[in-house]
Amino acid sequence: MTADLRSADASRTVYVVDDDPAMRHSLAWLIGALGVSVESFGSGEEFLRAVRPDRPGCLVTDVRMPGMSGLELQDMLARAGSLLAVVVITGHGDVPMAARAFRGGAVDFIEKPFNDQLLLDRVHEALETSMRAWAVHARKAEVRSLLARLTPRERQVADLVVAGKLNKVIAAEINLSTKTVELHRHNVMEKLEVGSVADLTRLLIEAE
Amino acid sequence: MAAVCLTASLAAGATPAPEAPIRVGVLAYRGGDHANAVWEPTIRFLAGRFPGRGAEMVPLDLPGMDAAVQNRTVDFVLTNTGNYVELEARYGITRVATLHSSRAGASGASVGSTLIVRSDRTDIRDLGDLKGRTVLASDPDAFGGFQVAWGEMIKAGIDPYRDLKDLRFSGFPLDRIAFAVRDGESDVGVLRACLLEELAAEGRIDPGQFRVLAPRTPPGFDCAVSTDLYPDWPLARLASTPEALAKAVVVALFQMSENDPAAEAGGYVGWTVPLDYQPVHILFRALRIGPYRYLREISLLDIAREHWEWLALGALALLWWAIHSLRVEHLIKVRTAELHAANRSLLHEMAERRRAEQTARDRQKDMDHVARLSILGEMASNLAHELNQPLGAIANYARGCTRRLEAGTGDPMQLAEVTRAIADQADRAGRIIARIRDFVRKRAPQLEPMDVNDGVHAAVALCQGQASNGNAAISLSLADDLPPVLVDRIQIEQVILNLVKNALDAMAETQPGGAGEAVRVVSIRTARDREGRVEVGVADRGHGLTAEAKVRLFEPFFTTKSGGMGLGLSICRTIVEAHGGHLWATDNPGGGTVMRFVLPAAGPATSPMCPTASPSAADELPVVTEERNHDR
Repeated sequence: MTADLRSADASRTVYVVDDDPAMRHSLAWLIGALGVSVESFGSGEEFLRAVRPDRPGCLVTDVRMPGMSGLELQDMLARAGSLLAVVVITGHGDVPMAARAFRGGAVDFIEKPFNDQLLLDRVHEALETSMRAWAVHARKAEVRSLLARLTPRERQVADLVVAGKLNKVIAAEINLSTKTVELHRHNVMEKLEVGSVADLTRLLIEAE
Repeated sequence: MAAVCLTASLAAGATPAPEAPIRVGVLAYRGGDHANAVWEPTIRFLAGRFPGRGAEMVPLDLPGMDAAVQNRTVDFVLTNTGNYVELEARYGITRVATLHSSRAGASGASVGSTLIVRSDRTDIRDLGDLKGRTVLASDPDAFGGFQVAWGEMIKAGIDPYRDLKDLRFSGFPLDRIAFAVRDGESDVGVLRACLLEELAAEGRIDPGQFRVLAPRTPPGFDCAVSTDLYPDWPLARLASTPEALAKAVVVALFQMSENDPAAEAGGYVGWTVPLDYQPVHILFRALRIGPYRYLREISLLDIAREHWEWLALGALALLWWAIHSLRVEHLIKVRTAELHAANRSLLHEMAERRRAEQTARDRQKDMDHVARLSILGEMASNLAHELNQPLGAIANYARGCTRRLEAGTGDPMQLAEVTRAIADQADRAGRIIARIRDFVRKRAPQLEPMDVNDGVHAAVALCQGQASNGNAAISLSLADDLPPVLVDRIQIEQVILNLVKNALDAMAETQPGGAGEAVRVVSIRTARDREGRVEVGVADRGHGLTAEAKVRLFEPFFTTKSGGMGLGLSICRTIVEAHGGHLWATDNPGGGTVMRFVLPAAGPATSPMCPTASPSAADELPVVTEERNHDR
């Protein structure tokens, strides 16, 4: 799938946000060893200005920063429906506090000082998660665009077909001739590029 | 002289067992010829009376006269009154007859002085007027011609050798004196008595041209005279001259008739019983001449006698001064003793005080150190965070390197850059550790010129961790034209750190306004105040101070923080004041507190000082300078 190839490229970007230049630079260097592209920013605000929230990828951020904290940044991304998987680096003993403030989204916490392998694993996982989420997101968008091809009558017929109703029952319910219902059903299968009722059913579930 | 020799040879021829001729020493004050003319007839008269023996005249000058008497080369001497008195005193000669002058008065005395001035000199009336005048006499040794007048002047209070404008001696001929006075060459002339009348009789002067000073008229004396009269020349025998010979000579002389050629030649009328020469002694004693010359050598006694009033006054003054000195000395001794006592007690008190101050400084030093440890203790987690940044960065860099090297993907240029970054971060960690160690080390204070802004940077570096952890910002507004301050760097850093940390602590309990809203801001401002001092202000937006807190803020062990010891501000104030500055708290207009302190600017001539070079300045500091010795 072309969509999968594009998502794989985009999702392999890691963003590092830390106010300490040395820490930021060293994290980028370490994560860069994974062979992914790394971009770093000195503050949450700077990051938000530069990166669109609907892109896939992994955000590694320090929790304590002047101005916007790491948690505030994560919160804003979650509210914006970002597909980024976030790894929050916390100081020693800060994890419970951070966890309490956590409001959902793909977030992982890692405590300083951290094992590099652990960080890289988490980053790797986060990238996978983000990529998956992005794939799901992309599939939904594809299905929605397919569904958008249907006329309202066709969509009505498709829903009733998936509900397992026969053509004449459908025709009776919506006051159409059986012949007309069959025509609508044919058009639906053609527009949605499916060959069977089972495929049609799966597609409509994916769209929800 | 030939006549004398003839007489002697005749006498010698007349007697079978011839005795030596009678030798008479005669004062030849005008030379031998004059003496012969005047006295030879007298000697010849004597020789005539002693046919078997004869008499011989020996003309002598004054020194010769002295030698002849001393060596007894003469039997008798015929000499002037003054010379006689001297020889009498010195060699014990005795007068046996006195010349009887034709002019002698009732007393028989005939020698005196006449002081003359020109008759038109009305400004000189008596002897007292002689002061500052010029006087001409015949000879210092002349008895009537000077010495008698001298004695009279002394009686009138005039010392001719001191008080006259000029004293000169003419020598012979004596009429020169009268001429000099007449011609105005000298104000006053001194003549022996009767010389004036003699010159007039000879027609050589006009007596109307002269006036006699202080004239007196002794009974029976016809000449004008200004002085007492003294006896004329005596004939005296030596002590060794036999009594019988003396008596015979006297008898012979007394038998001389008034108009004997000898008397005429000598200008006298005969010989008489020896007169009293005591007045001459008195005169000479007063003049300190002749036998009384020695008196000049003990003049101190004379001065004492003459000026006893002044001496008495001087002695009184001396006595008063001595008593006064003794009293002053006594007072000085008493006061000195009092001062010594006061000094001792003062030294004692100073030692006590120094000990007390030393103890206080030791305590202050300990408190100071404890306070620094305490601040760091409170900041430990933040300092750990601060230290973890470079350490974490180093770990990340190193592991990133390892992974690339293991995977064979390392780009040498990149690796080199990263290893340099590792070294930088190791340095950074080292600096943090050094700063902490400096800060907590017990140390001797060192005054050095310092830019207060550097102290602000150093303190902020230690606080930055806490600030970012507390989501607070530290904003700096530092003047760039500050004069240096002469301070102990660490102590001033300690003060600033304390204030910044207090500010951060004060805001930790306040709620941040929200993301991106910089409510938690510590503002540090440095400036130069109106008096040229350096002012540092640390402002927070915390809970502010209550009225009670404001009053007790600088008391030791007063604290508004649960974890604090309450020593920080107390010690800060001590440190600032020890540097000649001032620390105080004010409200921040928008809420919160501003802590401010000022330090005097280091003078332009001030050079860096070490505590030993400036003990007074170092003593003021809370940490003692001797610390080095017992703390290491």
